[in-house]
Amino acid sequence: MFTFLLKALWRKLWTLFFVSIVSFAVIHLAPGSPSQIDPMNPRFTKEQLERYRAAFDLDKPLYIQYTLFYQRLFTGQLRSFKDNQPVLGKILERAWNSLPLFLVETILIWCYAFPLGIAAAIKRNSLFDKVTTVLVFALISIPGFYLAYLGIIFVVENFHVDVIGLRTFGREGVGGFYQLMDRTWHLVLLSVLGATAGIAVLSRYVRSQMLEVIGSDYVRTARSKGVAEDAVLYHHALRNGLLPFVTMLGLLIPGLIGGAVILETIFAWPGIGRLGYEAILSRDYPVVIALNFIAAVLTLIGTLVSDLLYMLVDPRIRL
Amino acid sequence: MTTNTQALSPSRLAWQSFLKNRTAVVGMAAVMGFFAVALTGLLLTKGEHPILNPREVRLPDKLKPPISTPNREAVPAASLPRLGVYVLGTDELGRDVFARMLEGGFVSLSVGFVAVGIAVAIGLLLGGIAGYYGRSRVGVWRLRLLTVDTVITGLIDVMLSFPSFFLILTVVAVLKPSIWNIMIVIGLTSWEGTARFVRAEILSLREQEFIQAAQAVGVPGYRVILRHLIPNSIAPVLVSATLGIAGAILTESSLSFLGFGVPPPDATWGNILSDGKRYIFDAPWLTLIPGTAVLIVVLAFNLFGEGLREAFNPKLRQG
Amino acid sequence: MLTKRFLILAPTLVSLFLFQSYFWVPTFEDQVKGDPGRLTRYISASLGDASILNPTLSADAASSEVNSLVFEGLIDRDLDLSFRGRLAESWKIFEEAYLLVDESLKLSDGAPATAKVLLDRLNAAKRSQAQALRLVQTIELLPGATVTEEVRPPAREKRSQGAQPAKVVIRRPPRLKFTLSEVDQDFFEELDRLLGGYVKRLDPLKFVTAPDPAIAQAVAEERISATEANPVIIFNLRRGVHFHDGHEFDSDDVRFTYETIVDPRNLSPRVPDFEPVKSVETPDRYTVRVTYKRLFQPGFESWGMGILPEHLLNREQLRREALRAGKDQEKFSVRDSAFNRSPVGTGLFRFVEWKTDQYIRLARFHDYWEGPANFKEYLIRIIPDLLTTEVTFYAGTADAYGAQPHQVARLQNDPRFHAISFLALGYTYIGYNMRRPIFQDPRVRRALGMAINTDEIIRYVLLGHGERTTGPFPRQTDYYDPDVQPLPYDPDGAARLLSEAGWKKNGDGILEKDGKPLAFTIITNSGNEERSAIMVIAQNAWRRLGIQVQALTMEWAVFINQRVDKGDFDAVVLGWSMGLDADIYQIFHSSQTGHFQLNFVGYQNPKADELMVRIRQEYNNERQVAMAREIHRLIAQDQPYTFLYVRKNLALMDAKIVRMKPGPDGKPQYLPFVPNKLGRVNFHFDEWVKTPTPVLPPYRSEISAR
Repeated sequence: MFTFLLKALWRKLWTLFFVSIVSFAVIHLAPGSPSQIDPMNPRFTKEQLERYRAAFDLDKPLYIQYTLFYQRLFTGQLRSFKDNQPVLGKILERAWNSLPLFLVETILIWCYAFPLGIAAAIKRNSLFDKVTTVLVFALISIPGFYLAYLGIIFVVENFHVDVIGLRTFGREGVGGFYQLMDRTWHLVLLSVLGATAGIAVLSRYVRSQMLEVIGSDYVRTARSKGVAEDAVLYHHALRNGLLPFVTMLGLLIPGLIGGAVILETIFAWPGIGRLGYEAILSRDYPVVIALNFIAAVLTLIGTLVSDLLYMLVDPRIRL
Repeated sequence: MTTNTQALSPSRLAWQSFLKNRTAVVGMAAVMGFFAVALTGLLLTKGEHPILNPREVRLPDKLKPPISTPNREAVPAASLPRLGVYVLGTDELGRDVFARMLEGGFVSLSVGFVAVGIAVAIGLLLGGIAGYYGRSRVGVWRLRLLTVDTVITGLIDVMLSFPSFFLILTVVAVLKPSIWNIMIVIGLTSWEGTARFVRAEILSLREQEFIQAAQAVGVPGYRVILRHLIPNSIAPVLVSATLGIAGAILTESSLSFLGFGVPPPDATWGNILSDGKRYIFDAPWLTLIPGTAVLIVVLAFNLFGEGLREAFNPKLRQG
Repeated sequence: MLTKRFLILAPTLVSLFLFQSYFWVPTFEDQVKGDPGRLTRYISASLGDASILNPTLSADAASSEVNSLVFEGLIDRDLDLSFRGRLAESWKIFEEAYLLVDESLKLSDGAPATAKVLLDRLNAAKRSQAQALRLVQTIELLPGATVTEEVRPPAREKRSQGAQPAKVVIRRPPRLKFTLSEVDQDFFEELDRLLGGYVKRLDPLKFVTAPDPAIAQAVAEERISATEANPVIIFNLRRGVHFHDGHEFDSDDVRFTYETIVDPRNLSPRVPDFEPVKSVETPDRYTVRVTYKRLFQPGFESWGMGILPEHLLNREQLRREALRAGKDQEKFSVRDSAFNRSPVGTGLFRFVEWKTDQYIRLARFHDYWEGPANFKEYLIRIIPDLLTTEVTFYAGTADAYGAQPHQVARLQNDPRFHAISFLALGYTYIGYNMRRPIFQDPRVRRALGMAINTDEIIRYVLLGHGERTTGPFPRQTDYYDPDVQPLPYDPDGAARLLSEAGWKKNGDGILEKDGKPLAFTIITNSGNEERSAIMVIAQNAWRRLGIQVQALTMEWAVFINQRVDKGDFDAVVLGWSMGLDADIYQIFHSSQTGHFQLNFVGYQNPKADELMVRIRQEYNNERQVAMAREIHRLIAQDQPYTFLYVRKNLALMDAKIVRMKPGPDGKPQYLPFVPNKLGRVNFHFDEWVKTPTPVLPPYRSEISAR
């Protein structure tokens, strides 16, 4: 097992190295320069433009830029082009904002996907199954931003409350409890919208896993032995059917950066997705590379955790 | 319950199972309907003097609701709509929404097809090579260190590490905006799933007798891949292709929303929808019509694909 | 079954918890009822976040909004657009001119041009009221000096000279210093005539000795000039003005602001505006003397720049900050300072906090020199999406936002909102690359313009919120010549012009000349609905004439860097955003046609060139106006652009916001907005207040250009 761990780690490190090169390279194919330098300003001269390029290291050869970037990233010195703030600080702050959103979304997904999927598997081909299938797929077939707009307009016109941003604006003096509830409310619409895709996908997966298990031999054996139906389903079948999902825990980690770019932009939520989008638009190289890199790190950690869990959980597998 | 003792080939079994799933069949029918509409749309709207003109700008008639008559005084006779009324209304430049939707149908379809085509082609190629030649060693400068399998799965890992939408966004922001670039980028970032499936299938198929027999007889490698391995591992590829088309259509509309979609004057359902979002209060049909259309088509593809997946999975078959 | 119950309970409980939070959240009505403090806050919505809260270092819209409230400049513009003193109470502009004394030259009557002779002659001329010397107040003699220096040869010469420093002797002769009461760009021309051609015969090269003629030439050009004209501005500063931290404002702060801008380490985007400044001196605490290297009238307006607090950003402070932050003390500059995220100025509002990408909070400054504002707080909310901004506005959690024409059209008659529209400073145009053969014939350019129905664009795309423009100057200023007629919408006339220019329709209906079809590509940037609409409309209109036009949009950075800046385009749809001055040198002068320069269409008109240079050096407003109008006529004639329109900036505001002043009886008096000549209504922002219910009818802008 230890060797497995080492081998996996070694692989991940090499992957990480190539990821760092790819994310660096993609950005530098970009034909624009950081938007601080606006060539359309009628008073700029070419010399000034050059000086900007020099200050931002854009005049040095690519491999030196690569080394400098990552060196600064690891020492926390990397600064954003846009406002000169340390990149790591920015990312952490925004990640902190995205965190409650992500947690609530994950809770929603898991709380809804499992009952839905299991019920659909048990009641296969019934009206319930058909209706939920269509409904669930319909939710992920609408373009996300359209659904979001519809949701916002619906809530605002009918309930007359603010749904944009982290909290209701301009209400400073109220007590802690009200603030907590306020923040929770602002999370609701956004996380519900963000969770629909996850619920849909996960519930289908749960359903097909359950179906597989229900049709398997040992379940049939349990039934023929006279075990109560409920016990058969919720005890034997579930336990084995859900094995793969334990390993999925690891894959949740990268979901944080996955980028609810569109939803965050619409809801003016100061999260990671929006940070990434705005950085791309303004060619804020440090932020884009750092985000890509950190996302990859998280993904790799996630898959490593996944593999580990899988191995622990299923004694038959020894990779 | 039928006790059919006649041995059916796996594909026939799958097909029969599929037909029993009514929602999936409805989905398939809808997909075929969409194809027909898209092709008809292409014929009706292409060329310099099409039957239904999606490009004609009629400013005096902007933002007219569906089934409204044109303003015959302000609009020159040559620009009047062929059918006498604006069947689905007009957009912010007075263009006929019905004609644009017909044009857009084909474009959206082709974006989906080409993107998925690229993804599947690369996935099949790389997955096939990894699965079949996996154990051969390659290297540079006489250092035969790595196996083909390691290289390709390493590549897959690198691609998987990036949050896919974020990566698409980064690349599309960098390139010249064009419909081909979008298709290619979506294709290039979604082949990993297919590659993995194909590789897994081939790995398991490789050990089977009929393959070993073919090898013993001396059939060359590529023929084994092409004539035996790939046709047998086509099942998951078909499923992911179907779901992939749905995903590509949605991705294209998300890109349009962020400003990186197919550039004008080409219409896609995605960019009609995102262009119309500014007028959601004044002209709701501009978003309702493409939104519903995308919903129906993507839903159809999803149901169809899900149905295929269930049908191909012997453990899930009914009866 | 425990698991079953859990599977059902979990989602139910979670959902209940989440959705019940709705009941604790205030609705729109509640917001104002339960919180009277809301009325004392002004909340504006911005699409983007600020970058650097330092007016010398940033120029983007969001940062500028904050900077204009937190900082203040020496001057700004009044309601009728004339300059008004803010931190400066008054100012004076005059000129100091210098002339070399070359004793080896002879004057027209044979006398040698010694200092004494020149002085005598000039003083005599002055006494007899010579026209050339009418503005001269004093004439002084400044002694010369000889300097020996080691000069490194210019880079080009390295290969021949082997980078050896050369010994150069500069014998600077005495100079005559003239003090003029006004700036006069023709002074030396007239002086030359008075002195019989003496001025034109002066050759600085005579005074430089160097081993290599090339070096001598370079040094002469740099260090000695026959004539030098330095405009001087003297600002008298207002006393008793304080920064938000209590420190008193004085001339050191002005000087420091200038030094910050020109310090190359700070990478200030304002450098071009201040580059012509020779020196900024502070003769006493409340006087600032700015001397310019050369005549540059547009430079005056840049003194509206927000003034930085020297006591918080000087070398010593920066060093201390660097030390605390563990950074290199030598390299630490203003750009690195935390001040840029927590600014201190002398403006109407002081900075309180900035939550990145969420909001920026400002509070009113009690000690503001003109008296504090009515609003206690100013908040800027950052909402990146247009639609949600609109929704937020209806919700009452934003008081104003920049609206789109169709939104204003919908709410024109809604009594809840003020609708404010004013002409922007700038214009939208179609530019033709005059280096391409098809565009070299002015008749073709004219025809292309005549084919487009600009009035229709204004009517239907801008919904009436725009006006035609015919030339390069802002419509609202005097520089714009109102007598220049716009191109008529005349497709038949356009067809005739094209035919005259030799373009005939071929078999496919496409215009052709010498076997080549009239085909080109027009490009613009993506994400701009207006420009995309113009492109499509133009493409359509031109297609009807038989021209094959391909229309492309591309991302801004690509558009600018790969196409426009490199001159790699046929036609573009673009817009200029400008200031109120008459300086269009960089956009239309023939020397600015290189890559990355702004005359990317390649316009070259020698007469216009000369006028553009002169107008920059002209400090007299009347003469400037006359020159500007002539440039306008020339450019309108040449049509390097099809000038389309000036759009109106539109804003929607809560109608409960009005101006309030205490009346004679002590009770509050409510007054409507008074727009300035540009149509903006926030001139009296310090008087604005929000009432619980509307007290005046909602404001609707009437403004038009003339």
